[in-house]
Amino acid sequence: MNQGEAELISRCQQGDQDALKEIFDQYNKRVYRIAYGVVRQREDALDIVQEVFIKLFRSIRNFKGRSRFYTYLYRLAMNTAIDHVRKAGKYPASSLDQEGVLQPVDGVEKGPDRILLHKELERRVNLAMGKLPIDQRTALVLREVEGLSYQEMAEAMGCSIGTVMSRLHYGRRKMQELLKDYVKRGEEE
Amino acid sequence: MKDPCSSISKLLEKYFDQQVTDKERSLVESHLRDCPNCQGELRSMEKLKDLVKAPIEGAVQEEDFHWVWQKVQRGIQLRERSTGWESLRSWLDLSPLFRKRVLIPVAATIAVLLIAAQLLFKEFSSYPRLSGVEYIESQTHNVMIYESEKAKVTVIWLFEEPEQEPSIS
Repeated sequence: MNQGEAELISRCQQGDQDALKEIFDQYNKRVYRIAYGVVRQREDALDIVQEVFIKLFRSIRNFKGRSRFYTYLYRLAMNTAIDHVRKAGKYPASSLDQEGVLQPVDGVEKGPDRILLHKELERRVNLAMGKLPIDQRTALVLREVEGLSYQEMAEAMGCSIGTVMSRLHYGRRKMQELLKDYVKRGEEE
Repeated sequence: MKDPCSSISKLLEKYFDQQVTDKERSLVESHLRDCPNCQGELRSMEKLKDLVKAPIEGAVQEEDFHWVWQKVQRGIQLRERSTGWESLRSWLDLSPLFRKRVLIPVAATIAVLLIAAQLLFKEFSSYPRLSGVEYIESQTHNVMIYESEKAKVTVIWLFEEPEQEPSIS
């Protein structure tokens, strides 16, 4: 933890909301990635982001600096997202229909066929992710999206590196099996 | 003969995640040069990573988090206002004595005990209070007299001989 971050955290621990705003600006996208990766539904993911930063403000006094701050925050985000899924009772497989089409980033990909393909692909990925146990799903998001190391993942997930590797392995195997048409296409390219 | 892919496959995922040591990396890379199967496995992991990542990155690009911050601020203010009440509530929730399931039977038991104590007290207080005791000795008889003020009752024990049981008159 660098000095600037330590100072920011210390101010936040004293109840300074401006310090929380700086932390929010720095980490909101990362928290959203985790939330969206787990729940796969825009509104729910945004609610989780909101809840995580409110919880952070209330609980940051308990942060003693023994772990890295972002792993502490990731853990808070992950647990809030997992609680949300458990409360909801099931994975929102039809979330795409409520959210509309994923906007292609590239201007060349704006044709209607391409958009439909994107939508279908995202729907399949969502369904496949929904079939994973929640710990495997979370491990995949932390590794593939956030790029955390095994050590950082173990800190965030509160488990051993061996468990992290096992969750990643079985998560990947299952996803490859469920998305074999798309993954095979990738192999041929 | 042991399949070289099976021993490398354990390292392949670590290699893909960039978590190998230098020694392990050179081992995997030398195997990959001559193994199309493991090259394909690596590409399929890369493709899967893109599939998982792309929709999430797309969703992040579409969001404006400014209004989310406003909601965070409102949430903090609301919770600060209700902190006192919430802390009492959370204490009540946490304390098993005050949980509804315990509170109602406990309150009922206390009420019953209070009523019973009151009845007992009334009954007890209706007994005549002994206000005076007098003991008279003579050569033939010993007499003990208890006199109650409230009920105006006098109880007399007559002892004819010291060994005899007392008789009440």
